[in-house]
Amino acid sequence: MANNHKSSATDLNENKKTKTYLEILGDTILPNQLLFAVLLSIGISLGGYNIGLWLLPSIASESMVASYSLLIGILGSVISLVLCSILFKPKRILVEEETSSESMRQVFEDLQLDPLEELELIENDPITKKELEDFGVLNSFLALREEQKK
Amino acid sequence: MSLLVTAILFALLGAIVFSLIGLISGTDETAIMVPLTLLVILLGAPPAAVFSFFMAAVLAKHLTHAVPTALMGIPGDTTAVPLIDHANTLRRMGMPHIALRKMISGGIIGAFIALPTAVLLGQFLGQFAEFFKSSTGIIFTLAAILIAFFSKGKWVSVLMIIPFAFFIKSLDLVSFSILDKHLSISFFLGIAIGPIFCDLLFATSSSAKKTIERDKPKEYHLAPETKTWKGYFPNPLKILTGRQQIFTSITTFISSLTFVFSPVGMTSLMGEIVGSRTKGAYKKSTTSLAVMNGVTESTYIAEVIIPLIAFGIPLSPVALGPGSPLFNAPPVFTVDPINNLHTYLTSWEFFLYGAIGLIVASLIAYPFSMNYARKASVLVMKLVSQEAIVAMFIGLACLLAFHEAQLVGIVLTFTVAAVGGLLNRILGIGAGVQFMIFYASTWIMMTLFGI
Repeated sequence: MANNHKSSATDLNENKKTKTYLEILGDTILPNQLLFAVLLSIGISLGGYNIGLWLLPSIASESMVASYSLLIGILGSVISLVLCSILFKPKRILVEEETSSESMRQVFEDLQLDPLEELELIENDPITKKELEDFGVLNSFLALREEQKK
Repeated sequence: MSLLVTAILFALLGAIVFSLIGLISGTDETAIMVPLTLLVILLGAPPAAVFSFFMAAVLAKHLTHAVPTALMGIPGDTTAVPLIDHANTLRRMGMPHIALRKMISGGIIGAFIALPTAVLLGQFLGQFAEFFKSSTGIIFTLAAILIAFFSKGKWVSVLMIIPFAFFIKSLDLVSFSILDKHLSISFFLGIAIGPIFCDLLFATSSSAKKTIERDKPKEYHLAPETKTWKGYFPNPLKILTGRQQIFTSITTFISSLTFVFSPVGMTSLMGEIVGSRTKGAYKKSTTSLAVMNGVTESTYIAEVIIPLIAFGIPLSPVALGPGSPLFNAPPVFTVDPINNLHTYLTSWEFFLYGAIGLIVASLIAYPFSMNYARKASVLVMKLVSQEAIVAMFIGLACLLAFHEAQLVGIVLTFTVAAVGGLLNRILGIGAGVQFMIFYASTWIMMTLFGI
């Protein structure tokens, strides 16, 4: 596997102490930053809503005050999304793989399948073969035979 | 005419917002669909536009959540879990983009087959609607038992029906004595954001914290894109082989009719049936992916449309989860008495505004995920932090709860979220079961204690 590790996490140095991250909904976060982000988000959205309730009755018709205030509140939470993303950078490591295929043979071994059988099926199925050719991946399948010979 | 334009605009809104949300992997369907749909309803969008919004949102989200599933091997959300094996096979062979294209082409076909099928079936079942409407209490209770039994927790979910109903009713009485009105959105939100809130509770508990502590940031592996592609709007039919088109059409038609089963269950079942009849790893994976994503889409759409047209009460897993605001979003929509999309739209209108939603979503999300999948997901992953996402949803929940009942609403929402979230995460009593118990609680408590 020729992985080219490009880290997108900015604060890896903070990571000297172990177990600093928490996994929330399948992704890692820093607890203090999350706390601030949540407070900020609640503050802005509820703040926006209440300002709307207080300010709007003098400009908008009475029946629309609640709806408009809600809209300001939503706008607030969208602003908080942007603000929090700027303040708190993502803690993920994104590894962009330059060459994707592990050895095709390895994949077949793991799946406990016979590569030659797969190849035979492809050869005998003009539709699939044409499709693989169109997608430009037929060669990686044909390479299986070469590998098998070795 | 102007209603048509409004519907198209709301569909556009749904398609754009949910195309972006779909790129964020691991998002919980219910936790995201419910608050945003509620917002649209409470803001006063006309019922037809609400429906177009929802349909566009569902399709757009499913088309773009195929991106993390195919390119990173992480399920876009729970409905994508059964597809992971096949997607991984193709990803490891170096063809994640083919997996992606097969998936979203299957999804498009599934959506457009499901809409007319579901409308017709819904209209047919509508003959029995009077019976359903007159006995909602007992139907909800029986459905709660059934859904509980088929939930992840199985027996514990059945056991917890009466205690959870008791819990809901108690909170209802307390909040009623403070505010002199019955709350509903706050309960709803609590159940929906339960899983997120449960993780946050874990983070603040010094004993439970250990289970979610990590010593390094999560690593995502993104496969490269091989550009073998011309044009902007590819024909979904040309991406699939003839055999795949036939299989996808048949299975999505069948799954449009089975609206009471879970989409994940139907997806696994249909994928297995078709996969076992297909030889060769490449062919098997691509065919299964097209079929499975198609089935997810069609089950999902049918599960919302059929109960909406036929009964007006949420009698399917999707209607109880992500689709629940379409049935119940007081003061605009209510279930008891039935006053929701069921009452406002005719079958023909369901078809028309559903089609608007699906077409708009296809025009936006389909070429988007075909052409820019990789670039967009890199951008989202590098720019938008998980902190911001979690914070935004907690903020939205507070906002909606406050809108319904000020501080009482917020406290109630987070009380329900704490209990519901822990029951959900630890015992496997899913959000659908909890929603059903919520609906059934009035009848259960009335029957048991006369209140």
